[in-house]
Amino acid sequence: MTGPGTQGPGDEFRLPDVGEGLDQAEIVEWLVAEGDTVDRDQPLVEILTDKSQTQLPSPKAGVIKRLGFVEGDMAEVGQVLVQFQGVDFDADPASVPVTAQIQTTGGTEQALERRPKASPAVRRRALDAGIDLASLNGTGPGGRITVDDLDRALTVPADAPQVAASTKIPVAQIPPPRPAANLTLGQMAPGRHQLRGIRRVTAESMTRAIAIPHIHGADEFDASALLSGRKRIKDLHPEGAARLTPLAFFVMAVADGLRRYPMINASIDTALDTALDTAGLDTEGPDTEGPDQKAAGHIDVHEAVNIGIAVATDAGLVVPVIRDADRRSLFDLAEEIHRLTTAARERTISTADMQGGTCTITNYGSLGGRFATPMIRPPEASIVGFGSIRVRPIVVDGAVAARPTLPISIAVDHRLIDGDLMTAFQEHIIGLLTDPVALLAR
Amino acid sequence: MVVGEVAGRADVVVIGAGPGGYVAALRCADLLDVKNTGARVVIIEREAIGGVCLNVGCIPSKVLIHSAHVADLANHSADWGVELTARIDIERLHAHRRSTIAELTGGVATLLDHAGVERWQGSARFSKPDRLAVVSGDDVRHLEFASCIIATGSRPSALHSLPVDGERVVDSTGALEFETVPNTLVVVGGGYIGVELGTAWAKLGASVTIIEGSTSLLPAMDRRLSRVVEKRLAELGVTVVLDTFVNGIEDPLLVDADRIIVAVGRTPNTNELGLDIANVPVDSAGHITVGPDRRATPKIYAIGDVTAGPALAHKATAEAEVAAHVIAGRPAAFDPAAIPEIVFSDPEVASIGLTEASAANQGIEAAVFRFPFAAGSRSRTLGDTAGFVQLVADEAGTIIGAQLAGAGVSELAGEMALAIEMSATVDDIAATIHPHPTMSEAIAEAAHGLGGLPLHVRR
Repeated sequence: MTGPGTQGPGDEFRLPDVGEGLDQAEIVEWLVAEGDTVDRDQPLVEILTDKSQTQLPSPKAGVIKRLGFVEGDMAEVGQVLVQFQGVDFDADPASVPVTAQIQTTGGTEQALERRPKASPAVRRRALDAGIDLASLNGTGPGGRITVDDLDRALTVPADAPQVAASTKIPVAQIPPPRPAANLTLGQMAPGRHQLRGIRRVTAESMTRAIAIPHIHGADEFDASALLSGRKRIKDLHPEGAARLTPLAFFVMAVADGLRRYPMINASIDTALDTALDTAGLDTEGPDTEGPDQKAAGHIDVHEAVNIGIAVATDAGLVVPVIRDADRRSLFDLAEEIHRLTTAARERTISTADMQGGTCTITNYGSLGGRFATPMIRPPEASIVGFGSIRVRPIVVDGAVAARPTLPISIAVDHRLIDGDLMTAFQEHIIGLLTDPVALLAR
Repeated sequence: MVVGEVAGRADVVVIGAGPGGYVAALRCADLLDVKNTGARVVIIEREAIGGVCLNVGCIPSKVLIHSAHVADLANHSADWGVELTARIDIERLHAHRRSTIAELTGGVATLLDHAGVERWQGSARFSKPDRLAVVSGDDVRHLEFASCIIATGSRPSALHSLPVDGERVVDSTGALEFETVPNTLVVVGGGYIGVELGTAWAKLGASVTIIEGSTSLLPAMDRRLSRVVEKRLAELGVTVVLDTFVNGIEDPLLVDADRIIVAVGRTPNTNELGLDIANVPVDSAGHITVGPDRRATPKIYAIGDVTAGPALAHKATAEAEVAAHVIAGRPAAFDPAAIPEIVFSDPEVASIGLTEASAANQGIEAAVFRFPFAAGSRSRTLGDTAGFVQLVADEAGTIIGAQLAGAGVSELAGEMALAIEMSATVDDIAATIHPHPTMSEAIAEAAHGLGGLPLHVRR
């Protein structure tokens, strides 16, 4: 623990917690050697855990002094993987002026790399949205990254081709936007329209979605307990009754399902996505053994349960996100749904309220319709749809009875989730919605 | 008591109730909504709530420094048309210090109680990677945790050649509690603690010598700042001996000293926690190594003086916010543009962000402008024109650093920290109306100077 000649804390790279509840990983392959000069974010090593194989990027630019393991070793979280060359304090501590020793631990200076200019509020938003400020160009004074710069980066996914906004089409060809009032459900007038706004974002998202191998499940269940339970709660709490829609119950049940089965609350990056983005759906299905795919794929199992709710607006589909849906009470969910859907329809919703979803609910049944095959919104891995509640024949206690029934249609990413897990997830949701006491007691 | 009994379980355990630990506990209680969710947040303190900062550090030293400042003002008051004579009542001074501490620590305890944080008295030690043994007298309690924040702070570093005896040779804690003003006082160590304590006791009447091993006082600060302080110390009659190491208690420099203060830095309190049992990584200086999210292991976080960086209360507090947010599942990182460093010397000095030299080390061709308080008006009305405001800007005109020396400049450090965090430009500051007549006008003056249009400067 003590002794001269050791490195400062910034000069070591330790196996980070890879966020899968695992505490060790196999060193599969070193991508650098001792003595190499590496850039920040350059992949250093490929590791394999029980759940995924992934590359770890360098936390800083520097020269590799020592590799802590050989290929094939198991490393534990917190163990030193790489030692960088740094400032050596090889001098005998006794000969160093005492206050100079304080100074060595007292520096607040950053590493050589220039710090992106941005206010603390912008930094916080970037962190929330998972955006590296170093990747943005600031348009503010002195190159400062502004809120607007961040918003632009958030509306155009980093890996999506930058279309529309920069594509100049002669203005004469573009029909002026028509008032939306008489063009419900996002209808457009005949003629060519520039692909922009929500339509463009939806188009880009769905183009990427088609690369996801969907599997679908569907069922229909007795909703009478849900409806009577909801009525009873509304009677008990008339003040919150108006906003207590069935959707609040749906969100609560799905959130609990995601908590129960975290793999559904996840994202996968096979590293094939980029290729598929440009080539469309890969028709050479079986040929997926390429080394590239193996090299960079990873799975992120998300800690937070953030549920998007699809809201149809005049301008198109908007999906605001209910954060930490698994930690909210029923009335809290109802309030948040009301706030978000109102803001979405009034087009006052903030970018922050649209980010960070880990699963989406589509309440397609609000317009009618029983079963559907909803599309997953990447990088999410699942979508849960609810049809319209209608009185239908259903078998109750061995006899056919007329009961309100609720159809459910779900889709999951089969790269990540197999059919058995999908069914378990669906059954979990159905179980909670057919027994609202169990739902509220969760 | 049988060791290994059934352990209680807490969602968050914070070890240490200083300015890092108590803030971490309060914030965890908020973010985990303990009152509604039943989540359990426990804070363990082996000594007094408030830690070093409130009990034997920042706060009591500022009480001493303020009293000394009042005595010094009295000595100069005749110049301003008021004849006062200072008479030091050391017992009243200590009583005032103790009551100030009691009020503040009592306030912290009340905040913790009302937030729903459980307070435990005792020494904590890891018995497993997710379990602590908490010893209080003969009593041992066990506590399992989902998350743990280590915030055990630091203690004064010892000099083997000059052991503290609590009588003639004291550390920074003992230096607050002299029962009489010493006739002759030697301070070993010319960092911020040594300068603050030496200056205060000199103003209270001691004949003070400060001995520093490097070639300037406040060696962590810009040399121009320490020169201002050295000049004032000379006026106060303090002897400053630089580039010199004391050689044990028999050193000729020490033989005449009634009291000797050893103030040679601080050592992190990481050696009695059983960190190896919990696989918590520690570097050669004894600091726990953490990521920007303050995580040392998947379940254990560390904040404040037990980690690298300046041993400052406000750094610990800021890191506490980060750790609490991460534990609550919200993304957060400790990534400040500047950690203000203040010395309550005479005059006060403050350094925020980069200096000219440290900017050059980063490859930044910095522009620097220094506006002296002697050219300002407020400093004259205060009868103290020492010092300056120095701004450092990068090539694009963004403010990246500020160094200040002068009366009360500690209160100007917040503006400079905000400017740096916001990436404010020279023009932003120059165009912000600073109130007249205040010391803060010098900041705008320095910005005007950096922009090429200095105002109250002879052309």
